[in-house]
Amino acid sequence: MPRPTLCWVAAPGLEGLEPPALAMAAGLDLDQGGALEAAVVTVPEVQAPDKLRARLLGRPVQWLDLAAELGGGGEGHRGQRAAAALSRAAGRASLGTLPPLYSPQPNQRVLVAGQGLAALAAARQAALLGHPVLWALSGDDPAAAGAGEDASQVAGLAAGLPEGIELAPQTELTNLTGAGGSFTAWLKGPQGTARQRFGAVALAPGGAYRAEPAPPGLAPDLSRPLSACQPASLASAQGWRQVAILAGVGQPATAQGFARALATAYALQAQPGVQVTLLFREALVAAPQGERLYRQARQAGVLMARLGDGEPRLADQGRTLVWQDQVLAEDLELAPDVVFLCEETGAPWPGFLDNNLLWPARSRLLPEHARLDGGRTARAGFYVLGALRGTPAGEDRLAEAAAAVHDLHDLLGGGAAPLPAVRTLTCARCLTCVRVCPHGVPEHVEDHIQPAPAACLACGICAAECPAHAIAPPGWSTAELMEGLACGLAAAPAPAMVLMACGQSAMPAFAELSRSGHVWPAGLLVLPLKCAGRVGLELILRVLSLGAEGVLVAGCHEGMCRSVTGNLRARLATGQAAGTLSDLGLGPEAVSFLHMANNQPQALAKAVEAMYARLGAVE
Amino acid sequence: MHNRGPRRVGGCLEEIIFLSALDKPVLIIGGGVAGLAAALELDRRGLASLVVEKGPNLGGQARGFCCKALEVCARCGACRVGDLLQQAAQRPALGALTQALAVAAQRQGAGWEVTLIPQEGPKPTSPALALERPLGERLLVQTGAVILAVGHQVFDARKKSRLGYGRVPGVMTAGELEETLAKGGLPGQARRLAFVQCVGSRDQALGRLYCSRVCCGFALRLARLARYLEPGSEVTFFHMDVQDYGQAWRAELAEMRAGMRFIRAIPGEVRPGAGGPLAVFAGPDGQPQEEEFDLVVLATGLEPPVAAPALSEMFGLTPGAEGFLTGGQGVLVAGSAGGPRSIAESIESAAQAAASAAEHLVSGQAPSPEVAHA
Repeated sequence: MPRPTLCWVAAPGLEGLEPPALAMAAGLDLDQGGALEAAVVTVPEVQAPDKLRARLLGRPVQWLDLAAELGGGGEGHRGQRAAAALSRAAGRASLGTLPPLYSPQPNQRVLVAGQGLAALAAARQAALLGHPVLWALSGDDPAAAGAGEDASQVAGLAAGLPEGIELAPQTELTNLTGAGGSFTAWLKGPQGTARQRFGAVALAPGGAYRAEPAPPGLAPDLSRPLSACQPASLASAQGWRQVAILAGVGQPATAQGFARALATAYALQAQPGVQVTLLFREALVAAPQGERLYRQARQAGVLMARLGDGEPRLADQGRTLVWQDQVLAEDLELAPDVVFLCEETGAPWPGFLDNNLLWPARSRLLPEHARLDGGRTARAGFYVLGALRGTPAGEDRLAEAAAAVHDLHDLLGGGAAPLPAVRTLTCARCLTCVRVCPHGVPEHVEDHIQPAPAACLACGICAAECPAHAIAPPGWSTAELMEGLACGLAAAPAPAMVLMACGQSAMPAFAELSRSGHVWPAGLLVLPLKCAGRVGLELILRVLSLGAEGVLVAGCHEGMCRSVTGNLRARLATGQAAGTLSDLGLGPEAVSFLHMANNQPQALAKAVEAMYARLGAVE
Repeated sequence: MHNRGPRRVGGCLEEIIFLSALDKPVLIIGGGVAGLAAALELDRRGLASLVVEKGPNLGGQARGFCCKALEVCARCGACRVGDLLQQAAQRPALGALTQALAVAAQRQGAGWEVTLIPQEGPKPTSPALALERPLGERLLVQTGAVILAVGHQVFDARKKSRLGYGRVPGVMTAGELEETLAKGGLPGQARRLAFVQCVGSRDQALGRLYCSRVCCGFALRLARLARYLEPGSEVTFFHMDVQDYGQAWRAELAEMRAGMRFIRAIPGEVRPGAGGPLAVFAGPDGQPQEEEFDLVVLATGLEPPVAAPALSEMFGLTPGAEGFLTGGQGVLVAGSAGGPRSIAESIESAAQAAASAAEHLVSGQAPSPEVAHA
């Protein structure tokens, strides 16, 4: 076993500590500038001086953020906490494991499937960043706009297509497997179906208008979709006098749909002899110019009829609309010559995504999620853009496509985490990892598990769930974590407890509290994790068996986990551990789970305090 | 961190940072959500940037926002600021200067030369991150492209004096309630809460003919959180219309409608009552009605940034719709500086600004200046 050396890099928050004494307490040599076998560094890699980084290249290193783990308190107290944290890192560094040398070669080709602004912007940006792009167009013309898009904006962008875009007209993506860096796509074109490999895939169908349902019972010849109201067929030619426009009556409208309804209402009202009535529930004026359109239409004489719940009713064989005016509390009637129905743009969810063996359910692949923006889905390297995602036409679609391309460029350029290592000899091919990985990284190929080269976010769910201990994110295997925790717990004063802290929520909050001088209990050991999903039942029970008297697992709020299910799995594991403890006649309160966000440091401080008070009470 | 060199300007020696060299090509003015996101998006493209922030901390206004989750995430996006700061800290190519104010800009070829001066500001509200380095001296920055991400200003509720802000005890802005909740807990014994929407938005008298877009979602989530923290409390929501934020929001809204009182009217006046602020509003029959609350919360709208006229002049930009910023040659706009945007929308708009800035660097010409979004 290599004997690790402590490389002390001074940083704010580490003042007043004595490196030689701490090194001795943690069983480390203090760096004297000589040769090193393994090292523990007190700051994250980006903050370390270049010279030190160069010296440590190719050696096993534990980069701590010691200031973030330490917090305030007296010198003796901080020294104790620092010694425990350094011991934990020393234990891990002494294993001497290096991140595996691997040469992932993510496929750099990008498939853009679809038509319109989003597809065009994605293809364009990807090509500008040097990716070979195959653009599978549903039609023939790359300059064709999707529903609701500004044709001149699309044509302008299509006029200057960069090199490196191969067009495949009339081609449809019929099936897709894989994840970032290694997708296999089945493309059906005029010449038949071909299978091709890609590094990233962006799905951006042009979309179509869908009119909201007409009120049940409305005479069928009266209603038509809003897009049927072309200037050529305007009112005077049709002899319309009374025109009704329904915007968000049969189903909720969006601000974009409502703005189109307003614009149409205004245009029709300007025709001689025409009276337009707009029926709606909420005036959705959040689109660009929305409020001005609303006022303009009202000033032009459009009657604004706000409906309550459940209305309108129909009379006169479905030819008269009846609703109650909310201010007058009287029934109003309108016998329109025509009823226009508000439309929203949308696109059908592709059938291949319904294959639940290869793809997670839609609620897990594309949940409404604050962290999955910019076209991202849970499957790394796979993007859903534009109409299919419900993004408003215009600048928003350009922005979304740009964000998606930046993300895929980053992933394919080495921005993904190092590949999880799979020990083929111990792997039982149970496919647990394939099932649980939220990002689609492990793939079962020719009787072994092969991770996609540019998709891993190092959440560690696979490592926590693998029953054979055959899969581990590099540096995060159970063995490594346990070695570190064993050393750390040996150095921590009793009563010792472990905080397993999610890197997206708990750890930043913990670091902020530490920086502002929060005093943590002496025996609190932090285990910084990328995602709470790395915590499994086994890890919790083993930490307790090492002598920790309490384990607090802190992860993101439900619906906020970057890896979708990491927090839920951690919560489940915590509950199972509590159940096991209570079966054994031990106190289940020794383990608990906290949902939090990175801007809720007080919640974390409170939870740590509460658990520590309980431990004290048990003592 | 940058190529530095002294240069004689007008008789005195000035420090100059060259950002026009390929390694640091973009200057980002504003270190809030949009500025940080733009820096990250550029970094993902392989382009380095320098963020300059006039305040002492990065993260902007959103850094003070509170998490609005009950047990389940409310998708308010407030914690995305923490995400951005964390990601930025892990990217060495990304530089940031705090307490730095851009005071002058000069076109130089396809790029710009921008003068930064140190800004004496308030003390930092949170301990400095490794990323936050204050500017010490006057600096000249040569850069290939500039991204303006100076954010928005919140409407000053005193301008609607009839709503009692600053005059009637118990009237506060939603931003102030947010701060209070971020520190944990409602002020005093607030059992009867009223939220007043569209304060400074959709207002003809003020000449603000736009919807601030984010306030309905923001205020209703705050209201829900307040009810959760203070279970017995009753919430009245005075509004014109409830805006739409997508499928999941509609389900949440249905629940909120069941648990709170929605009144489609904006109070004409709020005055001191016996036990708290008294709101006067049009009842369902159109007749004036009075009701007393413990707390009246004003959802103040989003205004163009204070710096918009100065920046427009500095970079020769035409003022955009409603006074928000629009871009020009080699100048891009990101986030709520270009129009009312949520946190998530600001982050996405930063991606577009970054992409356009990158294209400008290649062609010496921005493809399509950002259209203001108001």
